[in-house]
Amino acid sequence: MSTETTGLGTPESLTDAEREAVEAELRPLADGEFVLAERYTEWQVQAPTLESDLAISNIAQDELGHARLWYDLLEDFGYTEADLIWEASPGEFRHPTLVELPFAEGDWADAIVRGYLYDAYESRHLHALEGTSYPRIADRVGKVLAEEDYHTQHARNWLSRLCDDEPGRERVQNALDRLFPYALTLFAETEHEDAIVEMRIRTESLAAMRGEWLEVVVPRLESLGLSVPASEDGEVLVDLPDQVGKDGSHTEHWPELLEEFTRTYRKLELGEPPRLLEDPNEA
Amino acid sequence: MIWEVFRQEQRGKYHTHCGNVHAPDKEMALMFAQIQHGRRRPTHSLWVTPRDEIGEVDAEETRFGGTTDKSYRWASTFNTDEDFAAEIAASQREQEAAERERAEQDGGAERGSDAEQGAEEGESA
Amino acid sequence: MVTMDIDTLTERAGPRQFGPKDDLPEEYRKAATRMIQFHANSEIMGAYLERPFIRQAPSLDRKLAFSAKVQDEIGHGQLLYRAAESLGIKTREQMLDELANGEGKFLNCFHYPMTEWWETPMIGFFVDGAAMRRQATLKKTSWEPYAHAMDKICFEEGFHIKHGESILRELATGSRKEQKLVQEAFEEWWPRILQFFGPTDDQSTHHDFASAVGLKTMGNDELRQSFLNAYLPKARKYGLELPEYPRINEGENGRYEVVEDDLDWDEFWQIAKNDFEPGRQQIDSRRAAREAVAWVRESMETLGSGSNNTDTPQAAD
Repeated sequence: MSTETTGLGTPESLTDAEREAVEAELRPLADGEFVLAERYTEWQVQAPTLESDLAISNIAQDELGHARLWYDLLEDFGYTEADLIWEASPGEFRHPTLVELPFAEGDWADAIVRGYLYDAYESRHLHALEGTSYPRIADRVGKVLAEEDYHTQHARNWLSRLCDDEPGRERVQNALDRLFPYALTLFAETEHEDAIVEMRIRTESLAAMRGEWLEVVVPRLESLGLSVPASEDGEVLVDLPDQVGKDGSHTEHWPELLEEFTRTYRKLELGEPPRLLEDPNEA
Repeated sequence: MIWEVFRQEQRGKYHTHCGNVHAPDKEMALMFAQIQHGRRRPTHSLWVTPRDEIGEVDAEETRFGGTTDKSYRWASTFNTDEDFAAEIAASQREQEAAERERAEQDGGAERGSDAEQGAEEGESA
Repeated sequence: MVTMDIDTLTERAGPRQFGPKDDLPEEYRKAATRMIQFHANSEIMGAYLERPFIRQAPSLDRKLAFSAKVQDEIGHGQLLYRAAESLGIKTREQMLDELANGEGKFLNCFHYPMTEWWETPMIGFFVDGAAMRRQATLKKTSWEPYAHAMDKICFEEGFHIKHGESILRELATGSRKEQKLVQEAFEEWWPRILQFFGPTDDQSTHHDFASAVGLKTMGNDELRQSFLNAYLPKARKYGLELPEYPRINEGENGRYEVVEDDLDWDEFWQIAKNDFEPGRQQIDSRRAAREAVAWVRESMETLGSGSNNTDTPQAAD
């Protein structure tokens, strides 16, 4: 843990600029975990085998649990879960568009490739938060990071199994071709990027994280006989999609998904989402 | 070749690991296991399986049951009454016991490493 | 080893008395397979009916709990298919195929569509509660692997019932609108819930043998009675009004008598044959989903023939 940098204080003590930067760091993180999990749950009762069903369900729950921890830090600033999720408009969500894309029926390769690309990014991101100057984040990183190992292992094992035969590899390649440009949205910068790095809310820039990500992801995918539209030394041959998510722009799939998962909340005119678990600060 | 041995004390109970034997094949392993592991304790059945065929993952390598709050999967989180049906009460008691054991194990693991350090410093009881 | 004859089997029948090592008559193995396969199928189809509500749950916590519950049901399916498989009659793949092609049978309640959140406690509290009553008695079934599966299922199931009751309570103590919706759902589901335990014992074709050889330890009537004893007071506690029909007469000895003629047994038997249209749709859409990932299962079967599957450790990613 870096104790030498002059850290940020409690949520109440932040300056407006600090608070904006913290929010800009947390919002895509929380939304990213939440929406990825929302999509993962589509595999429940539909995964290839009963055992793989149990595993992906668990990963979905892990990611939802992580989202819950990050949303809770946004609640420090006075937002409620209702503001952040249940009554938010599509453009208020800042997740990278990779996670909002729907799965075509039976496209398990998509779930695995998406998980692999995301997890490789997420563990990097979490490591870059281990030395954060904001104590509220620092307190939670360890617990979240500890659950990522299983996710990474899950994605890697499946990837190598699927690429073990030609039909499987072809499906993985198709998924990779489609998802890779969207995976680049994980590293899309917001207007707050410089502030986030300068204040050491995150100790590494997104650009540096992207470089490291490519160094790891490209060789592994290539070793499985896949072609990747990028090289490990940072060259990328595809453009970012028009909608990157982190700036509030989304694909047409997002409002549809949002509509679906807020259906009960709206129909019952709840006003407040029911809580069951202890507040993360108490737990 | 090493064979791991699992003993079931009575019909209907679970086979649990009780030890191992050296033997060249399954028949010999069963023969040796009967004497080495079944001659004194009550035994209804023995299983043997080659040690090399056993995979293992332990708490050093993974965090069983996760590290973030998973109380949503435990009965005790839901504060409706469980005593209106004996089977629900029984389920909750079992879950509470499991939760306690998990907590003790987590605490124990931390205390365990403390104790080791303590032993080095000559402080352990 | 000589196959056990039915008389010996009946004589020896008792809790957890028979296991895969026993050479049991085909009649036993088939009857046990039928029963456990039905149970396993019901876990899957129940989960299938509930899965949309992971998405539609109205909060993060409710979503987490719903996801965990559906996950458990699949886990129960896994345990039960293994227990059935160990009888040596059918493989899990065969049983899952039968479920997909409409031959596999499952609980009546899971043939009905469930479209709204306020219906979920009808399954999550009442149907699961009924199932748990039965499951608790099956810890003493004579097929040891089935009893072992039941140990783990009953351990987990307490969470499911309390989760269901928690949603019910939230709705029943919520806004007027919520109370009205949950009452409507209750009226719609209640007759189906009463049919959960099937018709009275004398109409049940497989009951006698299953009881004689210790597969079943309690009859349908008795189970329904004990269900009503525990769950009717709960319905009342939450202000749910019983519909006028089916009539339920409360006897002097505290026993309930359901007027069976008030229930729709034609529909029940149609369901039992997988001929009920909404159930058919559930079966068919699940089949489509299952077929869509057949390629993954095929790919896993050919594992080991290629070269990539030895996952040599590389730099952490």
